[in-house]
Amino acid sequence: MSGSMSELEQNLIFNKWLAQHKALLFKVVRSYARTSMDQDDLFQEIIIQVWHSIPSFRQESSNTTWIYRIALNTAIKWVNKERKHTHTNQPLEHLQPILFESVSQIDERLTWLYEEIYKLDEIDKSLSLLLLDGFSYKEMATILGISESNVGVKINRIKKQLITKSKQQDYHGI
Amino acid sequence: MEFDELQKIWDSQTKEPLWVINEEALNRHILAQKSQVHHITNKSELVLTYVYIVAGFSLFGVNIVNNSANLFMYLLAGWTLATGLYSLISRIQRLKREHEFIDRSMLGELKHALSIATYQVRLSRLMRWNMLPIITFCLIGVWESGKSVWQVLGLLLLFGAAYFVSGWEHSIYKGKKRELEKLQKKLQEEVVTQ
Repeated sequence: MSGSMSELEQNLIFNKWLAQHKALLFKVVRSYARTSMDQDDLFQEIIIQVWHSIPSFRQESSNTTWIYRIALNTAIKWVNKERKHTHTNQPLEHLQPILFESVSQIDERLTWLYEEIYKLDEIDKSLSLLLLDGFSYKEMATILGISESNVGVKINRIKKQLITKSKQQDYHGI
Repeated sequence: MEFDELQKIWDSQTKEPLWVINEEALNRHILAQKSQVHHITNKSELVLTYVYIVAGFSLFGVNIVNNSANLFMYLLAGWTLATGLYSLISRIQRLKREHEFIDRSMLGELKHALSIATYQVRLSRLMRWNMLPIITFCLIGVWESGKSVWQVLGLLLLFGAAYFVSGWEHSIYKGKKRELEKLQKKLQEEVVTQ
């Protein structure tokens, strides 16, 4: 994609990406932010970064990998930001929440899994999301900018940690 | 639970998305945000450059109009202007370096964020030390021009407060840099310890 892309083209690609990959963005948001205000704030931050990234997308990776990379990098920076909710300096009419809960029945086991992912540090959160979403070690290494062997070591540790936690949780009937 | 079961739990969420997006609010947000640049470094550099250059020229102007100005007041004006020019040159160099970062991986983004944080720490430290010659020139200049001890003491108090606040600002930048260094270390460490 060229850097001289028109705004209309950019909007079309953005809308297509959002329709196709919103579930992916939701997963990142839910794993990195706890309160609904934070989740809304992080979601806004991610979509702006995704929108800005469209002209520099060179199709060297799939758009799923690209969007995941942007979303995770934004989430990590967002967590380390001192002042969150930067969007609150917008006019009042822009302050409407963007995300509304839609799930009627909440799966307790999924809530537990998200809770465990939330407890991990920023890097391990990213890896566990990529792992659960079926990315290969090679893809994870590209997204994170580290070697495949390093990914392997970290993934083994995260897997063990999640399995141990789930076994502890089994005793409590979930 | 084994990992396969965790995977099944994870995959179950694809059936029904957790949230619905308020499309109207989203579009408004994009329109409002896409032209804005959120960059604390950008803002602090611009403020620094503007304040020092305007203050430097104003001091020169006041000294020329007011014939009673002494050497130290001219030194103060010159130093202030030089500081403004230094921060302008630093900004131009930083913006040039920005284009060198093309690695969009997590490590690449962290390195980029770290280079900005290092720059912020260096700039805030330099600006803090830079207050010392400014305070010295200003106090001697004011004293030489025959102002009362109370006026000099008042100025000293004001500068003391500014020096304290700049130290607090510097420690915020240092803390942010430390956090980024920790993250980078965390991302890379296990290759070394394996």
